[in-house]
Amino acid sequence: MKKLSTIIGIFVVLALTLAACGGSPAGAGASVLRIGWAGSPDTLNPGAALLAESFVIYELAYSALVDLQLDGTYSPDLAESWTVSDDGLVWTFTIRDGVKFSDGTPLTARDVVFTFEFYQAHEEFPYMNGYTYAFDTVEAPDDRTVVLTLTTPAPNLESQIVFLYILPEHIWKDHAEGQAASEFENLEMVGSGPFIMKDYRQGEYVHLEANRDFYLSPPKVDEVVFQTFSNLDALVQAIKTGQVDMITEMPNTAVATLQEAPDVRVVTGPPLAPDITDIVFNVTEPQDCPEDGACTGHPALRDKTVRQALAYATNKQELVDIVLLGLGTPGLTLIPDSLGVWYNQTIQDFPFDLATANRMLDDAGYLDSDGDGVRDMPDGSRSLTFRLNWPSDSTVAPRLAELLAKTWADAGVQLELQALDPDALSSICCPTFDYDVIIWGWGSDPDPSFLLSVMTSYEIPSGMSETGYNNPEYDALFDEQNVTMNPQLRQEIIWRMQEIVHDDAIYIIPFYSKAVQAYRTDRFTGWITNQPKLALEDVTSLVVVEPVE
Amino acid sequence: MQRWSFLLNKLKWAVISILFVIVLNFFLFRILPGDPVRAGIRDPRLTAAAQEALRVKYGLDKPVINCFETLNPLRTGPCLINPLETQFFIYAGNLLKGELGISYHTNRPVASMLATYLWNTVLLIGFAEIFSIVLGITAGLVAAWKSRTAVDFGTLIFSLVAWSLPTFWLGIVLLFAGSTWLGLPVGGKFTIGQFYAGGGEKFLDLLRHLILPTITLTVVVMGEYMMIMRSTVLEVLSEDYILTAKAKGLSTFQILKDHALRNAMLPMVTIIALNLGFTVAGAIQIETVFSWPGLGLAIFEAVGRRDYPMLQGAFLLIAVSVIFANLIADLLYSYLDPRVQVG
Repeated sequence: MKKLSTIIGIFVVLALTLAACGGSPAGAGASVLRIGWAGSPDTLNPGAALLAESFVIYELAYSALVDLQLDGTYSPDLAESWTVSDDGLVWTFTIRDGVKFSDGTPLTARDVVFTFEFYQAHEEFPYMNGYTYAFDTVEAPDDRTVVLTLTTPAPNLESQIVFLYILPEHIWKDHAEGQAASEFENLEMVGSGPFIMKDYRQGEYVHLEANRDFYLSPPKVDEVVFQTFSNLDALVQAIKTGQVDMITEMPNTAVATLQEAPDVRVVTGPPLAPDITDIVFNVTEPQDCPEDGACTGHPALRDKTVRQALAYATNKQELVDIVLLGLGTPGLTLIPDSLGVWYNQTIQDFPFDLATANRMLDDAGYLDSDGDGVRDMPDGSRSLTFRLNWPSDSTVAPRLAELLAKTWADAGVQLELQALDPDALSSICCPTFDYDVIIWGWGSDPDPSFLLSVMTSYEIPSGMSETGYNNPEYDALFDEQNVTMNPQLRQEIIWRMQEIVHDDAIYIIPFYSKAVQAYRTDRFTGWITNQPKLALEDVTSLVVVEPVE
Repeated sequence: MQRWSFLLNKLKWAVISILFVIVLNFFLFRILPGDPVRAGIRDPRLTAAAQEALRVKYGLDKPVINCFETLNPLRTGPCLINPLETQFFIYAGNLLKGELGISYHTNRPVASMLATYLWNTVLLIGFAEIFSIVLGITAGLVAAWKSRTAVDFGTLIFSLVAWSLPTFWLGIVLLFAGSTWLGLPVGGKFTIGQFYAGGGEKFLDLLRHLILPTITLTVVVMGEYMMIMRSTVLEVLSEDYILTAKAKGLSTFQILKDHALRNAMLPMVTIIALNLGFTVAGAIQIETVFSWPGLGLAIFEAVGRRDYPMLQGAFLLIAVSVIFANLIADLLYSYLDPRVQVG
């Protein structure tokens, strides 16, 4: 027994010694900003990337022709200025003089041409290929001019080229063909952004250092580190104990305790890259059912009255208060409020009103004919019992589903709740349409075009349309906004589109969640928190923060 | 001579098991519904054309195996194609060349990713296993010798509690306690961005990061070892030869060391060998709690993303290590108990 306690004793002493000897972040006087997040880039190769985390790093180590500001506008970056021809087809960019890649090579219009052609040539690039869909030719008449000709006018071209990070031709030309283009790891990450890649381990960390020669204002910190934490509680604990200086996300449940932690400030705001949660109705008409589709949606959901009644029976404020703990705003359309001018805030939403919901269903003949407490189809063939599914990895959906089941039951509608593995959910969703109601969501671009496209009938066979909605008027408006160069006109069309789908109630948008982030006040100062959108990990903050004196 | 045929026989079964695992691994993940191209990605920017191109890149456009499109018996694929152009035989062919494929998620070779992760996991499990074997066996032995005393009851209660603790719960509790009061790191392998004056400092930093996950895993595993060791030793101590040893006037230490321990080690070797496989599963939880970049965390993420090459590679690796751990246990048996090889 003595032996055992000796061993345990040694163990404890060892642990305490080691615990005591750690501590000081980054010696040698360098200021190192440590960011904790739950993700990690999937690859440093911009062509092959799928995850939003990758794009956060690209924003720091690369530069594009234009920059997206936190107020939703586009500002000059590599391109000093640009002009558009009247037909919207020819875009001419003037490239900034004297820009160098991090390896010292000058960045010229040739690199821009190479990059654009490279992204366009690879169909297997998940996003980059889509951003170049309208490109016809790219030319460099001289070292500082890029002439981009499009096949169709693109009013949202800025929102696409903002993601086309300019790559050095002298490095990438050896990896430009075939499979090699995706498999090139790009660990050196030679770019022209405000930061330079120092060290990277997938799933562990990204270590960047400041680019002192950056052509705009260079960063004020020496190094930035992104450390991956695979669970959110650890992330919260990391900032509480001062092991990181900023965290990009946290569970809403942690906000209250973290607000009381010394030297920590919690900030919330509309996210830069919003993830929209939506309640999706299967409205697929039999004639629109795709070839492989099962199309087993409940017939009542194809009736606009039922969907509107369900919208009346949805208490969005309660959902915000309970599901998001108040950290959000009631939702309205699939285009979130953080998309600024594109968000149609003038739409009058269906208020929470169970009496109206019940009256609408009564009037439309959905009565409880068999007296079991659940309404039935007007012909009595089946009851208004809907399957409600959601992805099992969603943190908000389970509670959202329960609350929906409660208020919808008050309108005489029964829900059968079941969480599914996201992959299994994909396979019943679309283009199979083997569901009634789904809680899911979309990630969004700064431009609404992609989000609007999921409600067009063109996307029914591709599986992008989750509702099976087919409205020729909507489709026509979608095509029109795609080529309308005048921003005011385009905004009017997009607002009209949101009105149409809101009135048809093919989606109920329960809420828009806020981004919740936190930083330590005793380490760095200058975080940008007063803009319309919140993203402390964005380059806008990282180039201005400086160590606390 | 007999020893050699015993060894060969065991080796033969190990190889057969591995072949079986290779086939099972391949089909297991493809039975699951869904699509690696869309798994986890909900972004309208990922167009249908891009998805198709990704499918071609991953080789998922090819039939899984002749006559089966998926393993769904209702959907049959073409039967008269060249078997070498089916996903299964391409996989098998690459495996023969020693290639585990390219991860769908990171576009990197699976083999090199696994090598990094495996080393990290071995580091974590290695320390914890050594501690728990030493502590577990010692405590079990002592408890059995001092049976029905306070020491015994204390050990028994401790091991029961430790064995039944949910791993992730213990991990989270230790994480909070350790980082708040001892200033221990909450996750990762090194303090990222730290400037090290030398290799020694870096090693100390690694040890600091190992403390909490190692304690968690040690506590969880050691409970089981204590329990089993205690009951086995109790059984052995009731044998006649222990009485004989006592009668010969041997000291307590000699009896325990030379008579009880060696006989009680037989079941322990089985448990430890079997456990090595389960520890990787246990490590999934610990690695997730402590953000430890090991095999368990990699598997956890690969499942969510339907990263078939990564999953196949990782499961093959685990299967091979479990099979070899058992093979070694078998060989140790014949060393500990010479009667085994005859049977």
